[in-house]
Amino acid sequence: MLLEVNRLEISYGDVRAVHGVDFVVEEGELVSIIGANGAGKTSILNGLMGLVPARRGSIRFHGQEITAVPAHKRAHGGIRLVPERARVFPRLSVFENLLTGAYGLRKKIDLDGRLRWLYELFPILEERRDQPAQTLSGGEQQQLAIARALISDPRLLLVDEISMGLMPKLVDQVFDLLQSLNRDLGLTILLVEQNARASLEISHRAYVLETGSVVMEGPAKDLLNNPDIRKAYLGLAREEEAKRQ
Amino acid sequence: MHLFLEQLLNGVAIGSIYALVTLGLALVYGILRILHVAHAAVYTVGAYLGLLFFKMSGSLLVGCAGAIAGCAVLGVAIERLIYFPLLKYPPYVPLIASIAILLALEEVCRLVAGPYILTFPAQLRFPALHVLGVDVPSSVTGILCITAAILAFLWFLTTRTETGLAMRAVSQDLAIADAMGINSHAVISFTFAVGSAIAAVAGVLVGIYYNQVYSTMGSVPAYKTLAIIVVGGLGSVPGAVAASLLLGIAETLLIGYAHIPLPRDALAFLAMIAVLMWRSEGLFGSR
Repeated sequence: MLLEVNRLEISYGDVRAVHGVDFVVEEGELVSIIGANGAGKTSILNGLMGLVPARRGSIRFHGQEITAVPAHKRAHGGIRLVPERARVFPRLSVFENLLTGAYGLRKKIDLDGRLRWLYELFPILEERRDQPAQTLSGGEQQQLAIARALISDPRLLLVDEISMGLMPKLVDQVFDLLQSLNRDLGLTILLVEQNARASLEISHRAYVLETGSVVMEGPAKDLLNNPDIRKAYLGLAREEEAKRQ
Repeated sequence: MHLFLEQLLNGVAIGSIYALVTLGLALVYGILRILHVAHAAVYTVGAYLGLLFFKMSGSLLVGCAGAIAGCAVLGVAIERLIYFPLLKYPPYVPLIASIAILLALEEVCRLVAGPYILTFPAQLRFPALHVLGVDVPSSVTGILCITAAILAFLWFLTTRTETGLAMRAVSQDLAIADAMGINSHAVISFTFAVGSAIAAVAGVLVGIYYNQVYSTMGSVPAYKTLAIIVVGGLGSVPGAVAASLLLGIAETLLIGYAHIPLPRDALAFLAMIAVLMWRSEGLFGSR
């Protein structure tokens, strides 16, 4: 088991954002957590990364208890985050943004090889290498955020609302990319998404989150065909009714 | 013409000293968004420590090293013990704490060293120059060389090293820097150490230049450096340096040379008011 989360609870002051959720991610899996805005999805990822403290519960990574481990150590342990809205460092160049992802690892990884691979994956980043990241378009910033997370060769990639603010065409491309990273390179990915359909289509398994609690879980295919899910998250029920009439 | 050039040079020297004090303020604002008013007290403590170690050892180099080490420790202590626990509150809370630290440290200096103006009988061993018919005293040469060296070091540190990259990343997005594997708290402490060490050098230089060390020597710099970082653009290090040099030159030329009947220290605030009215992001700032 790569990631094991037990009764995780996260609050901001008196407001409980996550009410004791349980989930697991196996090595090599692509798992998504879907749910509406404000369901606590981003809080869970930030809790896994160590950016917000867990009020209760435990997080185990590779069998090791990491609930109290600070974020930068989790990053060095192989957990990497693609944050909501990319959050690239705006006044660092594209290249410098990539280097932050390899901070403290330059001697441990083949930096040049990783850079070559990433530039092949995202040619635009090589083209814009020396530009400040804030001059990139939203889609380009998302690519940079993914590349920045991948440069360290992570064991678990956390992806937060990658589709938010992207054109539909770009959303498809990004999801294709995540799927191929998982399928071809065996990268373990935990995806948190409002765009339920796109994420369920590429996931092995999924959890449905409602106001801070997991209300349903299962293989992504089953959830895609579940009438409740279709109605609540996929917006399909109405289309089908319209067809029938 | 000679008088003008001489005054210009003096202005650059004074501006250099402003720059050395302001650097720490700009670095701290850039990384924590705190107005670190107590930085001026670190500079005062630097002058006293420099004098103390100089008198004990007879060597200015030892004096300087002692001041640098002492102030770096003091700066980190202020960050760890006072600012960091207060970061969760709105920015005026650390600001009030900062003013309290300034006053408290000034009082400590007065209690320990006495309410006198001490002399700093050291010489900067730099050559006096004679350029274009202008005499450059060795103290001015020394201040210019030391400032240039510190600026070059800082430029190298922030743009050419992995630690510098981490400093810039933390100043732009602290949480995400952590997620990239950067220990941002250590980076913040390091930034305080660097800024405070530079303030220590400034304190020693001012002590020697004016041959005076006293407990309230940081009072005027405390608010003048605030005006300077506003003029330069909050958190912008190049802006802070440029604004410091401009102010040093303007003060010397307008008041010392052109005899404009204004108190010297008013100029920084006139500049700050002008900037706030017409270009609130400062000379080098971005909004």
